[in-house]
Amino acid sequence: MNRPRTEVAAEQAAHWIVRLSADDPAERDTAQAGFAAWKAADPLHASAAAGMENLLRQLSAVREPAGGDHRPARAALAAIAPKRPRPRQLAAASAVAVLLLTGVLALGERPAYLLADLRSPTGQWSTHTLADGSRLTLAGGSAVNLRFTAGERHVELVRGDILVDVAKDAQRPFFVDSGQAAIRALGTRFTVRSEDGATVLSMLESKVLAQVPQHPAVVVQAGQRTRITDDGVGPLTSIDAASVHDAWRARQLVVDDLPLAEVLDELARHRPGQLHYDRAQVAGIRVAAVLPLDDTDKALQLLIDNFPQLRIRMLTRYLVMVDAPAKK
Amino acid sequence: MPTIQPSLQQQVQSLYSEHHGWLVGWLRKKLSCPHGAADVAQDTFVRIIASRDALFGMREPRAYLSTTAKRLLLDRARRQILERSYLAELALLADSLPGAPSPDEILMAVQALGQIATALDGLSSKARDAFLLHYLEEQSQAAVAAQLKVSTRMVQKYLVQALLACRHACPAMAA
Repeated sequence: MNRPRTEVAAEQAAHWIVRLSADDPAERDTAQAGFAAWKAADPLHASAAAGMENLLRQLSAVREPAGGDHRPARAALAAIAPKRPRPRQLAAASAVAVLLLTGVLALGERPAYLLADLRSPTGQWSTHTLADGSRLTLAGGSAVNLRFTAGERHVELVRGDILVDVAKDAQRPFFVDSGQAAIRALGTRFTVRSEDGATVLSMLESKVLAQVPQHPAVVVQAGQRTRITDDGVGPLTSIDAASVHDAWRARQLVVDDLPLAEVLDELARHRPGQLHYDRAQVAGIRVAAVLPLDDTDKALQLLIDNFPQLRIRMLTRYLVMVDAPAKK
Repeated sequence: MPTIQPSLQQQVQSLYSEHHGWLVGWLRKKLSCPHGAADVAQDTFVRIIASRDALFGMREPRAYLSTTAKRLLLDRARRQILERSYLAELALLADSLPGAPSPDEILMAVQALGQIATALDGLSSKARDAFLLHYLEEQSQAAVAAQLKVSTRMVQKYLVQALLACRHACPAMAA
């Protein structure tokens, strides 16, 4: 009979605690006195009450790192809440967050990534030789699943960026399956990168057939790059296949006249934690550089050296903020 | 009691010696970092030992171990998403904060949030929102009622439900 008694006490404690923060000051005062008397009546009451009061203290403590602001706590809870319509206010708050943090927050990240067959941690590259002799290089923060059968070879790109060096086997076509397309190769070398809602295919050698369901298949040749979405294979642009390949091997980001924002997005993909920047302030800065992707601290340092107007602050190693404050 | 203790110990001993190596290998294939695999394997055993009941009559230890380990991996992923979202939002506010928050403070907050989130999982969305609007955002009960389009009395009922849910889900925290 012990359990029901504690249950009853807990229920009563909860009712008292709710009345303590009632809107009517008179009711609050009555509750205060009543609650004190109730707690004094039985040690069981006192301990049921202490548990819940402690819990509420912890809840208010989660606001402290933000100087009392509840928004970080709210955003964090919303990110892992079961899917259901959110109250209007909260939706507005996260819209602001999305605008300011475009491309940086991997909220869509699913545990599927953790359970993938091959993965590489952020900032670390790994190369694997597959059962058929094909070679697969995963850039930092990438993951794939492998499915090889007698008739077909499949690599499912779960996330990130991969370089595929396909061993020739005319009897057994090789597929890279991304969120958008199936890319079919016989024996060739290419890179596939998964972006939000798109797959970027860069051909280094030979050719592949890229197929989006309900759309015509497109042949993509060596030296061509295309962005594939659910609407089909995008226009083909030309790339320098040799330098793309070299950059992959050296784990470098080679950019020629690219907006700084895009360079920072790329660095963010390759470092653990968060990298935030002020999009408005860095707009107009364009970069031509070769940056090490396996040492993003150094990459950031190189950027500061070249752009003295930039300010880079690290709150912790996992939280970096970049902006370009106007000179007084 | 003395008759149970040794057999529990034996059970743990044999489970550990027969399957620990296998579990680490299995996790290593799932995770790319070997330290991570060892940590998760350790946590898996700790969790199984903590829930003594599971130890007895375990028919397929490896299936049980891998299921427990998978659940731990998902917990980790969830915690990571929670932490990143918290940090991201904190970064937005960083300029208006008096000082940089300490990593310790952040860690404590993230841990508490993880427990609160788990506790709130089983609640209806209204009870959950009522709890967070009132206790986290410090809105008055009437304001919460207006926002949720229910009566103040209903809000109080939701708050009671949520307090009880938290107590059930995280007794360690409430103790």
